[in-house]
Amino acid sequence: MRAEAGVPLGRARFTELSLLVWVAAFAVTGFVAVLATETSSFSPTAAIVPAVFLTLMLALHVFLVGIRFRGDQILMPIAAGLTAIGLILVQRLASDLLLQQLSWSIIAAGAFAATILVPRDLTALARFKWTWALLGVLLLIAPLLPLIGREVNGARIWIKVGPGSIEPWEAVKILLVIFFAAYLEEYREVLSHTQRRIGPFPVPPVPYLVPIVAMWGIAMVVMVFEKDMGATVLFFGIFLAMLFLATGEAFYAILGLTLLILGGFAAYHLFGHVQTRVDTWIRPFDEDLRFDAGFQLVQGLFALANGGLLGAGLGNGMPDRIPVVWSDFVFDAFAEEAGLAGALALLALYLVFLYRGMLIALRAPTPFLQLLAAGLSFIVALQTLVIVGGNLRLIPLTGITLPFVAYGGSSLVTNWMLVGLLLRVSQVSERMRGGGAP
Amino acid sequence: MTSPIAANIRSLTFTLALAFLVTSIGAAYWTILASDQLANDPFNPRLIAATSSRPRGAIVDRNGAPLATSEKTDSGFARSYRDRTLAQVVGYASTKYGLSGIEAAYADSLIGQDPADPVSIWKARYFGDRAPAGQVMLGIDLKIQKAAADALGGRKGAIVALDPRTGAILASVSVPSYDPNPVVDPSKQDAAFEQLNHDQNRPLLNRVAQGLYPPGSIFKVITGAAALESGFDATKKLRVDDPYQADKSWGDYFVRSASHAHGLFDMADGFRLSENIYFAQVGLTIGAAKLTEYAKRFGVGATPSLDLPAAKGQVSETGSIDRPTLLADTSYGQGELLVSPLQMALIYATIANGGVMPTAHYATEVRDAEGHVVRSIAPGPIGQVISPGTAKTLSAMLVGAVEGQGGFAFGARIPGVQVAGKTGTAENRPGQAPHGWFVGFAPAENPTVVVAVIVENTPEGGVTAAPLGAQVMRAALGK
Repeated sequence: MRAEAGVPLGRARFTELSLLVWVAAFAVTGFVAVLATETSSFSPTAAIVPAVFLTLMLALHVFLVGIRFRGDQILMPIAAGLTAIGLILVQRLASDLLLQQLSWSIIAAGAFAATILVPRDLTALARFKWTWALLGVLLLIAPLLPLIGREVNGARIWIKVGPGSIEPWEAVKILLVIFFAAYLEEYREVLSHTQRRIGPFPVPPVPYLVPIVAMWGIAMVVMVFEKDMGATVLFFGIFLAMLFLATGEAFYAILGLTLLILGGFAAYHLFGHVQTRVDTWIRPFDEDLRFDAGFQLVQGLFALANGGLLGAGLGNGMPDRIPVVWSDFVFDAFAEEAGLAGALALLALYLVFLYRGMLIALRAPTPFLQLLAAGLSFIVALQTLVIVGGNLRLIPLTGITLPFVAYGGSSLVTNWMLVGLLLRVSQVSERMRGGGAP
Repeated sequence: MTSPIAANIRSLTFTLALAFLVTSIGAAYWTILASDQLANDPFNPRLIAATSSRPRGAIVDRNGAPLATSEKTDSGFARSYRDRTLAQVVGYASTKYGLSGIEAAYADSLIGQDPADPVSIWKARYFGDRAPAGQVMLGIDLKIQKAAADALGGRKGAIVALDPRTGAILASVSVPSYDPNPVVDPSKQDAAFEQLNHDQNRPLLNRVAQGLYPPGSIFKVITGAAALESGFDATKKLRVDDPYQADKSWGDYFVRSASHAHGLFDMADGFRLSENIYFAQVGLTIGAAKLTEYAKRFGVGATPSLDLPAAKGQVSETGSIDRPTLLADTSYGQGELLVSPLQMALIYATIANGGVMPTAHYATEVRDAEGHVVRSIAPGPIGQVISPGTAKTLSAMLVGAVEGQGGFAFGARIPGVQVAGKTGTAENRPGQAPHGWFVGFAPAENPTVVVAVIVENTPEGGVTAAPLGAQVMRAALGK
C-alpha cells in the first residue's frame, strides 16, 4: 500500500470496481436462481431489479471516481454485496415488498453520496456534539408521541412519515456514536488517567461521567417504554464499547455486562414480554411454547437443519414457513438455502467489514476520528452478532435488523450513511498521508 | 500514528472476532450436528410438505389391512384413517397441526426415507429425488383390536394386548377416542383440533401408554416376586385379621381386607382371594428397600421403551418408600403408586415369558414401495427381571386366582384354556368410584397373549374388568 503512495490523483478505483464485478455476478446468478424455481410466470419486475440495483452501484462507483475520492475501496462493495443478498432474499421471501426495498436502496445510495459530500470537514461533527445529543433524544422520544408514534408487533419504535413509517432509533445509533466520540475525545484523559482506585476498582471522576451516563440512561428508559430489546442491547453495547475504546478500562465493560445481566434478570421478572423471550430461548421446543411464542424460533431452527452443508439451493427450501422471516430471520432463511457454507460466507463478509472498519479507525489521525470509525464498525458487528446469535438460539432473540440484508428502509439508509462516514474517515487519513488510494 | 486508543481498538476487534467464531460454530451446530434430529421432528413442516403432493406411505395392520392411506384428490393427496379405535396409535398427519402417533414416530419411513435406507435420504436431500413411499406395518391385529374395542364399549378406560414373547402390541384401545379425519381436512381442521384440545375427557391421550392409574391388587405380583426372591417362604401361613395394623404407632390407620377375612393365608391364598392384609405383612417383612428394588426392576417409575410417547408413573411421590404405612399400602398396590396399562402388561408379560421382560413396540416392519422389507422392528428383550423359577411359581398362583376355588378373577375364565391373571380394584380420590383392573395371560403353560384392562370409575372394580380381558384373549387365541 505504501508502495502506491505518490500515484497521481484521479486514479481509477480498480479494487472497488473489480469487487463490484463479483457483486454483479452474484446478484445476477442469485436472482436467476430464485426466479428459476418460481414456477409461476416470469416477472419482468424481478429482472429489472438487479439491473437497476447494479446500475445504482456502478453510479456510486463512478461518482466516487468522479470526485476523485481517495479512501477505502473495500467497504462499499461489501455493503453492495450485502444489499444484493438482501434484495435476493426479499424477492425470495416477500416478493411484494421488492419494489419498496429497491426504492429504499436508491434512497440509501443517495444518502451515502450525500454523506461523502457533506459536511466538508468531518471535525465539524465533533463541534456540534450537543446538537446531536439533543437530536438523538428527540428522535428517541418521537415514537412515544401520540400523533406520529406507531406501534408495530408490540414495539412502539416507529414514526409516521408521509405514506410510510421509519424507525428513528436506526439514526440514533449513529448520532450516539458521534456524540460519544466527540465527548470522550475531550474528556478521555480525565476519565482514564486521573482516576482513584479502591482496591482493583477504578473510581471514575463522577462529574465527567454524568453526561454520557445521562445520555445512555435516556436511551434505556425510552427503549424500555418502547419495548424494543434489540435496540436497548445495541445502545448499551455502544455505550460500553465507546467507554472502553476511550479509556482502555476493561472494568467498565465488565461492570456494564454485569449490570446488563442484572437488568435482564430484573426485566425477566418485571416484564412479561422479556420473560417470554427468555423462556422461548431456553426451551422453545416445550409444548406450551413451540406453537406459540417459540413458533418463530423453532421454525427458524428447522430451516437451519434443512440447510446442511451446501443448502437446499436458492428457492428450494421452505424458509417462508418462518413468520416475518424477511425482517427477523433472514439469516436462517439464507442458511437454509445456501447452507453452512453460505452462512459462513455471509458472516465472513461482516467480519471483513469489521476488520476494514477497524483498520480505518487505527489509521485515523485524531482520537475523535478513531473513536468514530471504531464505534461505527462496532455497530455493524454487534448488530450482526445479536440478530444472528438470536436466530441461532445462542442468545435470546431480539428484533434487530441484520445490517444491509434484512428488509427495512430505515436500517438500509442509516447503514449506508454509516459506510459513507467510514469512507470519509479513511479519506482524511489518506489526505494526511498524502498518498493514493489503497 | 500510534495512540493509546489503537490498543483498545485491537482488543475490541479481537473480542468481536471471537464472538464471530462462536457464532460460526453455532451455525455449524444447527445446520450439521443437530440437523438430523430437527429434520425428523414431527412438527417440521418440511416432512409433511414432502408428501402433500405425493402419496404418503400406508399404515397397515399385521395382516396388511389398511389403517391409514393416502387418497388422490383434486389438490394432491389426502390422508384417510380407517379405524377410530386406533386414533391415538396411528395419529394424524396435518399440514397445520403437525404429526402425532405412528405418523410422527415413523414420519421419515412414511415418506420413503427410512433411517435404515441412507441412500434414499441422501438422494432426497441433495437431489430432491425422493423414493416412493413405502408402508409401516403394525403388530396390531384388527380382529383382536375389534374384540378389545367391543369389550370396552363406551366405558372410559383402556385395553392393551401384546405378545409376551416379542413385545409386539396386538391391540390398543383407549376410550374416549376420536375421528382423526377432520383433523387432516383443511376445511374442518381448525374446529376439530380446537374441540379435541379442549375436551375434558382428553381423547388425544393414549391411555394405554400415557394414562397413569393406581394399580391396586394387580401390583401384588411385584410384592410376591420380591418376597420369593429374597427367601420368603410362600407356603408359610400368615394370620390375617381384618382390620390390620402392625403396631400402635399406626394410630387410627388400618389395612382393610376386601373380604373382611379372619384366618390363615399362604401366598397362593393371598393371590386367589386378593388378600391385602397378607401382602401388607409380606411387604413389612421383606422391607421397603427390597420392594422398591423390585418395583424398579419391573420398570415402575421409569418410562418404558416404546415407539410412541409413554408416561413413566411413580413408586411414590418422593421415589422412595419412607414410612411403614406407605410400605404396607404399596405392598398391595395402593400407597402412592402410579402405573400405565402398558407397564402392567409388560410386568405380566415378564411372568408369562419366564422372567424375561420384552420391549413393547407398535410397529413391526417398514417396507418399501415394492413390498421389500426395509427394516424389521424387533427390539430385543429388556432383560431377565426375575428368575424362571419365580416366574413359574407366580404364574401358577395367577392361574389359581382365575381358575381356583373362589378365585377373584373367575370372570376371566375361558373354557378349554388355562388362564393366569389378577383383578384389581384401585381406590382413587375419595368420593370417586374405584378403577377396575384385570391383567392376565393365556394359555398359562405357553402364553401367547397378555392383556391389561382398565375400566375407569366402575363400582364393581376388577369384577367388571376380568370378563373383558377374557373376551380379548379369546379373540387372540381364536377360541
